[in-house]
Amino acid sequence: MSHTIVLGVIGADVHAVGNKILHYAYTQAGFFVVNLGVMVSQEEFVQAAIESEAKAIVVSSLYGHGEIDCRGLREKCIEAGLENIKLYAGGNLVVGKTPFKEVEEKFIAMGFDRVYPPGTDPKTSVDDINKDLASL
Amino acid sequence: MNIKNKKLDLNEFMQIRENVLLDWPTGKEVNLEEAFVFQKSLPAHLSFSSLLADAKKNQYILIQPRAGVAALDKHIELLQYLQDVGTADCLPSTIDSYTRHKRFQEAQQGLEESIVEGRSLLNGFPAVNHGVSGCRRLIQSVKVPVQVRHGTPDARLLAEITLAGGFTSFEGGGISYNIPYSKNISLEQTIRDWMYVDRLIGLYEEQGISINREPFGPLTGTLVPPSISHAVAIVESLLAAEQGVKDITVGYGQCGNLIQDVAAIRTLESLTQSYLEEHGYTDMKITTVMHQWMGGFPQDEAKAYGVISWGAATAAFAGATKVIVKSPHEAMGIPTMAANAQGLMTTKQVVSMLKDQRMPLTQELKAEMSIIEQETRSIVDKLFELGEGDIAVGTIRGFEAGVIDIPFAPSKFNKGLILPARDNVGAIRFLEVGNLPFSDEIKAFHAQKLQERAAYENRSVDFQMVIDDVYAIGKGKLIGRGSKGEQQ
Ligand code: B12
Repeated sequence: MSHTIVLGVIGADVHAVGNKILHYAYTQAGFFVVNLGVMVSQEEFVQAAIESEAKAIVVSSLYGHGEIDCRGLREKCIEAGLENIKLYAGGNLVVGKTPFKEVEEKFIAMGFDRVYPPGTDPKTSVDDINKDLASL
Repeated sequence: MNIKNKKLDLNEFMQIRENVLLDWPTGKEVNLEEAFVFQKSLPAHLSFSSLLADAKKNQYILIQPRAGVAALDKHIELLQYLQDVGTADCLPSTIDSYTRHKRFQEAQQGLEESIVEGRSLLNGFPAVNHGVSGCRRLIQSVKVPVQVRHGTPDARLLAEITLAGGFTSFEGGGISYNIPYSKNISLEQTIRDWMYVDRLIGLYEEQGISINREPFGPLTGTLVPPSISHAVAIVESLLAAEQGVKDITVGYGQCGNLIQDVAAIRTLESLTQSYLEEHGYTDMKITTVMHQWMGGFPQDEAKAYGVISWGAATAAFAGATKVIVKSPHEAMGIPTMAANAQGLMTTKQVVSMLKDQRMPLTQELKAEMSIIEQETRSIVDKLFELGEGDIAVGTIRGFEAGVIDIPFAPSKFNKGLILPARDNVGAIRFLEVGNLPFSDEIKAFHAQKLQERAAYENRSVDFQMVIDDVYAIGKGKLIGRGSKGEQQ
């Protein structure tokens, strides 16, 4: 199904390569992708989700500050009336090589629905997104 | 367009300077006269320029890590470890991303949280927040020269503080720290801001204090063809020289095909030298740096050591002056102190073993050098033409027109029309040449090289090939082959 999703790299992060490939992969998978590119603020993610009536926000963070940058995104979504929006995060989310379990717990506690370890194949998330959004 | 490649007037510089130093409270600590005295008091073994000159003369290869954590004490501990255990010949302070974007308030918060938590929440060293005194403590705690390595579009305050703080080399440039590192900042802005940085370094030079400048060679680190990064390095060298910089290390990110990489390092030095001379900058010291593979790494540490070793070997065969080293944690996160040192030791072992072996000038090597030279010259000469002789103007117009274009860059001031892919022996070629001002002969050469590979793999030359190549090294290969021709 042609779900609308918002995609972007959060914070002061400029890693663009993965973003371009994710955009391509999600488009190939049939999603309508609103790609905000790199260096995206929480406000821009929320704004774009409202404007495009997206059902999901896919956040990348590669550079390590993901932990600081992603805090509060869920709350901002709720404030903006996006109670049910799905939040996904992936990339190299924290500083340093860290057991993924710890990272996952941290981001789930922040209100993300799914969290992915470094280098996850975009296909994995396509299947997840399809499953999650079908039930909405 | 209100920019000119001309040495900044000193009064104008001083006027701008007043505002630059107000960006964060630590700016107040900088006093140029006092900074000159401090730099002059530093022992020769802390001078990057002297070390590079010695390595070039005696033909050994310097190894340098990337490293930076938030807290000063931890950062000092890290650098001492990389020096003593990792046997690094020279050290970096890799600056965190908030500082790079002048978000000093967020850097401060990250720094404070890092101290409380006892681990670094920042991806680098917030030098501006640590101020001149913090930088000096750092420089005086180590035995080798230290360089500022970053990715900062507007590095004026960072330069003021770190140079006054005793750093003797400064990476970056108005193009190489804009197009790969930002989204919305114009080239006119960054070229102007980097003229300031170069002018500042020129002032140190006038005092007899040589500060090394290193344009950032690898750009986006991902399948960047040599002529693209060479053109940027040459332009940034010309811009720096005009402001009074005398010591330049031009850089290049390893591609993975040995012949192409050796050809790239050799032509990088000769082309830079020749453009500088042609434009009247005759008293320059030029050296080279090769960065071990800058794109996606394999997650497995043993495999990562393989990539690191190949980078070390390539730098040695090419005869680069310096090599920037990766760590076995590259694909996963900022390395621990130990992992970082292991990358260094691996590299030291290889470059030392290969110290007396350089690749001879074979026919194949000559041919590859000639391709890179033709391409680079056609780009740089076109930039001069577009700028009616002014390379600053020409570069801005050139990016607008796409006659210089960097693959995978996030900046909206980059055309983004070109696409790279590997040929059948892994050299990086152009799948899309976009608006690059290449001759028909060169265009045909690239098309034929990729056709050769496509035929071998029985596939078409398309975007999937590019994607496969982006992933290839991370997946244990160089060329993102289809199913045929795989080594299992
Ligand atoms: C290329 C590269 C660069 C280039 C980027 C050029 C550009 N503008 O894009 C340059 C050289 C400029 C660069 C700069 C920096 N980099 Co860098 N970089 C890399 C490198 C080598 C490869 C990244 C890449 O392009 N991979 C290829 C793409 C296809 O893969 P990907 O980015 O991982 O994205 C894929 C997956 O992760 C996944 N994915 C991503 N997001 C999401 C989200 C979801 C929901 C899902 C399901 C999947 C998913 O899908 C993507 C497509 O397949 C990585 C290390 C590595 N991976 O080997 C470091 C790395 C990401 N960089 C790093 C850092 C720290 C930096 C710097 C801050 C410098 C520094 N301190 O060392 C600066 C960043 C400046 C800034 N403000 O952002 C660190 C991050 C450390 C951490 N998290 O602990 C890494 C891990 C290297 C390291 N080990 O230190 N970098």
